[in-house]
Amino acid sequence: MSPTTFESGPAAAGAPAGTARSGDSLSTGPGPSFLRVLNSEAIKFSTLLSTLILLASTAVVLVGFGALSAWGTGQFARAAETDQGAAAAFAAQGSELALGAPTSGIPFAQLILGSLGVLLMSSEFTTGMARSTFAAVPKRTPAFLAKLLVVVVTAFALTAVSAYLAGLVSLPILDHYGLPLDLGSAQSVKLLLVNSAYVAAVAAIGLALGALLRNSAGGIMSLVGLFFVLPIVFQLIPGDFFEEARKYLPGNTVQAMTATEHFPDTLEAWQAALVLGAWVVVPVVLAGILLKKRDV
Amino acid sequence: MIEARGLTKVYGGKTAVDGVSFTVEAGRVTGFLGPNGAGKSTTMRMIMGLDRPTSGTVTVNGVPFDRHQAPLRDVGVLLDAKAVHTSRSAYNHLLAMAATHGIPKKRVREVIEMTGLADVARKKVGGFSLGMGQRLGIAAALLGDPQTVILDEPVNGLDPEGVVWVRNLVKYLAAEGRTVFLSSHLMSEMALTADHLIVIGRGRIIADAPIQEIITGRGRIRTRVRTDQPDQLLRLLAGDGVSVEMQENELLEVTGLDPRHIARTALDHRVMIYELTPLQASLEEAYMELTKDEVEYHSLITAGATAPAQSGGN
Repeated sequence: MSPTTFESGPAAAGAPAGTARSGDSLSTGPGPSFLRVLNSEAIKFSTLLSTLILLASTAVVLVGFGALSAWGTGQFARAAETDQGAAAAFAAQGSELALGAPTSGIPFAQLILGSLGVLLMSSEFTTGMARSTFAAVPKRTPAFLAKLLVVVVTAFALTAVSAYLAGLVSLPILDHYGLPLDLGSAQSVKLLLVNSAYVAAVAAIGLALGALLRNSAGGIMSLVGLFFVLPIVFQLIPGDFFEEARKYLPGNTVQAMTATEHFPDTLEAWQAALVLGAWVVVPVVLAGILLKKRDV
Repeated sequence: MIEARGLTKVYGGKTAVDGVSFTVEAGRVTGFLGPNGAGKSTTMRMIMGLDRPTSGTVTVNGVPFDRHQAPLRDVGVLLDAKAVHTSRSAYNHLLAMAATHGIPKKRVREVIEMTGLADVARKKVGGFSLGMGQRLGIAAALLGDPQTVILDEPVNGLDPEGVVWVRNLVKYLAAEGRTVFLSSHLMSEMALTADHLIVIGRGRIIADAPIQEIITGRGRIRTRVRTDQPDQLLRLLAGDGVSVEMQENELLEVTGLDPRHIARTALDHRVMIYELTPLQASLEEAYMELTKDEVEYHSLITAGATAPAQSGGN
């Protein structure tokens, strides 16, 4: 850090005298194309320890719950061998429990990756990074879309891989209790993909909340409120309206989307998918518009 | 070249920047001087498109910043040493910024070397001192080898060595033909660094002139005179628009007369003087004079650079 650093610097700094554009010409060098912005956001994503910890936690939680759920299902099966009541209950839902083992950690994965979505955007504002980001990408929307793409793809891929790993871990445990699980079956694949898409959707909603509120705690609390508190509140308040409205909460769409058959008084799978889609599109579009309009 | 025309920013009823117009020319260091809260940072954020002007326009090289094809290659900016995620390392921060414009890693390492950050580049920015944060901000500003460099309070928190470094850097950049616009509330720093000065107070431009003109032209001519006959000289020099102050034994400070006139008068009346020193107002004094009363200054500007202040003075 000697004061001479600079004197010797510029010539060696890729700016030999005379190459600086004098006057007022505009640069013709590469600008912030979407792919370059995407690359930048991917670098930003992967160079934060906190992000990596949240991703690792998600994998651990999904695999751990998968194993735990397989073991619990096995215990249930063992109880069913001796207990009449348990036998009836197991006959009704035993195969579904085994099928659901790989994705049993989804409620926690959605919380972690949803929070990650919030943090990715809110930390831009709380740390002041947003000024650097939007000085480099003054149109702003590409940076937001790049972030969205990074978090959605990561959430989907991580959930899918972790849930598959959870399935692989569950297999010997279930096998030990003589329970079958075919990870390649249509329903297994459907559960894996739909749940992964669902977690990706929650992460996108989190990102939008982070952009709208610009505050980490507020964003995460809103997310928890939407996915964990509102369903309970809607259940507690008497009246048909809230019972009906409960079906349209984003957190309640995943059962409807993965159900093997359609039950009365629930949404059809495609309806639930549309509802979840709306829960993603509306906040994301709103966040995108406001991000462009508001001061940084 | 940066051009602001009628630039205004109102935050919830409070006018932070009030119809500001100025031009920052290439090839010289333009200082942006004003007390804290005068609207410097807001103006700079509007140049960068981060804050939307309530009214008015600002362009860099004729184009609003958000319409530049390669913004980082046209304009490098240090707005705030803290415009960095605190948990990311300096190198990764610069790498991510560079990636948006396809700037190679080689250039990232170059700006790290240039700004003396090599030893700490892999450390988290959160642990940086204010001075190191400033160096990182300057490194980010230089990343795209931009034609225009905007630095908001770059010497804040720098050690004396760093201050000299920034001073040399901005002069070098200007000498290369770049547009350099830097803000400060430190007048002394501006006196040493800037060629041209834009002074802002309470959201309005109160002076826009070469720095030499602001220092010499605005104040009245003052001269320090030592003589062994102070009383006689005092009587001889007294007149309209002239004030003579006896500062100590044999030392007078004359305001409103040029040194040649004083010497001539003394010679004509055989008064011996043994010191005759023209006193230059410091930028500090000129600045105080400028900002102490905006309205008074306003009339001063319109009266022209050489007109003495209408206020009584001493």
